[in-house]
Amino acid sequence: MTHIHLLDPRTSADPDLLGGKGAGLVTMMRLGLPVPAGFVVSTVACREFLHTGRMPPGLEAALADAVRDLTATVAPTHDEQASPAPMHDPNTATAPEHNRQATRTPNTATPPGHDRNAAPAPNTATAPEHDRQATPTPNAATAPGHDRRVARVSVRSGASVSMPGMMSTFLNVVGEIGPVRDAVEAVFASWHSPRATSYREVHGIPHDLGTAVVVQLMVFGDLDLGSGSGVAFSRDPRSGDRTPYGDVLFGHRGDDVVSGRVATRPLGELAEREPEVWAALLDGLGRVERHHRDVCHVEFTFEAGRLWFLQVRPGGLAGRAAVRVAVDLADEGVIDRATAVRRVSDRQLRAARTPRIRAGAEELARGIGASPGVASGRIAVTADRAARMAAAGPVILVRPHTSPLDMHGLAAAAGIVTTIGGPTSHAAVVARSMGRPAVVGAAALTVDPDAGCVHTPAGSFPEGTVITIDGTGGEVVAGDPGSVTGDADPHLDRLLSWARAYG
Amino acid sequence: MTDLLVLHTLRCMGFTDLERIAEAAGLDTSDAESRLIDLAVEGLVTRTPGAFGGWGLTDAGKAADARLVATELDDAGARDAVGVAFEAFLLLNPELLDLCTAWHMRPVDGVSELNDHSDAAYDGRVLARFVDLDQRAAAVCAALTVALPRFGRYRGRLTGALDLAKSGKLEHLADTTTSYHNVWFQLHEDLLVTLGIPR
Repeated sequence: MTHIHLLDPRTSADPDLLGGKGAGLVTMMRLGLPVPAGFVVSTVACREFLHTGRMPPGLEAALADAVRDLTATVAPTHDEQASPAPMHDPNTATAPEHNRQATRTPNTATPPGHDRNAAPAPNTATAPEHDRQATPTPNAATAPGHDRRVARVSVRSGASVSMPGMMSTFLNVVGEIGPVRDAVEAVFASWHSPRATSYREVHGIPHDLGTAVVVQLMVFGDLDLGSGSGVAFSRDPRSGDRTPYGDVLFGHRGDDVVSGRVATRPLGELAEREPEVWAALLDGLGRVERHHRDVCHVEFTFEAGRLWFLQVRPGGLAGRAAVRVAVDLADEGVIDRATAVRRVSDRQLRAARTPRIRAGAEELARGIGASPGVASGRIAVTADRAARMAAAGPVILVRPHTSPLDMHGLAAAAGIVTTIGGPTSHAAVVARSMGRPAVVGAAALTVDPDAGCVHTPAGSFPEGTVITIDGTGGEVVAGDPGSVTGDADPHLDRLLSWARAYG
Repeated sequence: MTDLLVLHTLRCMGFTDLERIAEAAGLDTSDAESRLIDLAVEGLVTRTPGAFGGWGLTDAGKAADARLVATELDDAGARDAVGVAFEAFLLLNPELLDLCTAWHMRPVDGVSELNDHSDAAYDGRVLARFVDLDQRAAAVCAALTVALPRFGRYRGRLTGALDLAKSGKLEHLADTTTSYHNVWFQLHEDLLVTLGIPR
């Protein structure tokens, strides 16, 4: 049997075979959305590889054919250096990457506006650290000045269950059988990395599922200033409000969007700068939402003004936002009331009562909510000052990241903000252990201990300025707007009344 | 001569109280306190009074510590061995942080929520993975201890935290100042300081 399935509207969108990512891509193609060309190596092939330690018979030959077919149309006859005009042939388009793994490599993104021939960094693969040394380097040929007429592909894992960042991903792989085979094998093998094994053990995921591997032509969000990457929700994940919401980075690839290394811009800026991309994005969000009958979350890249969808996930909202979406979808006739009630778990109802920041305050930055709750206090930019200032009232400690030298500041602070780092960073772990609200990766903020202030896009704020943080949604706002709980939420009231009716 | 044992122990803990310094350095508290006072006289450490007070290094103390541990490392000819062990540590570090996060937060229906610790089976699985990771960490600690014997204290402190967790006091995984996570984090800091790598 063949283990290779084309990304094609006629392919069956079976997540058990194609993985969640692959099935989502096929679904989007069926909905008429632009998805970079590619194929999926199935979970069946992975299971056989994991069982025998070898690629299944015939897979290499089939893979060679698939790679050849995928890249055949790419080698353009024109010389890119002579004609730098953006390519609009869908077959030459390539796909970006939204890899959530906490890659240890420093920011390898090239600055916006770079010449496409001045390739990104020599090795932009985001192999997870566990097999950094053991795995081959499929994209070793990606050196500055390389021949751009050689097709580049992304090779990404996609299990049928969510295992974010646990397996390998390779970007910018040379589109030839050798490098692609090595990358596919490395992704397969990463299923058994100790880190992935621990994740499955803890979260009760069977060890024998295996992962599919998605191979797609690369698209480059860092091609020029008419390119970029982003994530978008079809509705506001903070409130459930019927407004598309997300982040965009102009001139960057997708891995920068989710890394917390680069300050993103609000999604709405796309409307002004790239109205055609914006229109196509809204259209796509509407279609995936109608298809899934639920709020959806997509990852996208636009290359030279052209939009590509890279991933879709339905659902995933928490607390009050989940309640609001369920009630609104019922009101809109998309789902019935019984379905709305079923969708909101008891846990989500409890989460709906978690205090959230009151809307309307000036947002200074947004990072990742790493420890839930709302906290207000005066800015302190060093642990020493946080410990001293805390005697006179609540303090929010704002640091680039934290180390043991910050322990007393962490203990003294009512809330913690870091400008870099992710939800598993030290600051996040310590904040949760102390029950303190925390926002991590608020990349729009710059801590200036010498001047004793925090720089934001809205201006600089000296130590002592009151700010409020929301460790659920990741917001950092000026002043103290207060917080709200879900107890007086009209959507929650309606959902509960339906629940009683369907009790 | 500067007391590197206490100075460096405090450097890796950051800022803490006398009892915890003594415990981590393997000293009784009165001995640790007199050594801290000597270091304070040298201008290398300082004690901050107040509710969030404790002992910490001065800038001069941080500089002296960095200089002294670098000398110690090179005198022992251990720079390469510690560097190799640090690479091995870094392979384990993301998994340890995953496990701490799994201890605090739990994805439910695709949404990450606070772990309310009502599911003993879940908490038991997290503990089991800590134990598994600790077996792999033991090899790293052993290599470090061969290279520089002072790293040996971390093994005992990690084992102590894990033994408490295994006995049912699960807060010693990631919630206490002497938790497995906190000791691990101090080891991470120690490796960075010892090798002179900025965080």
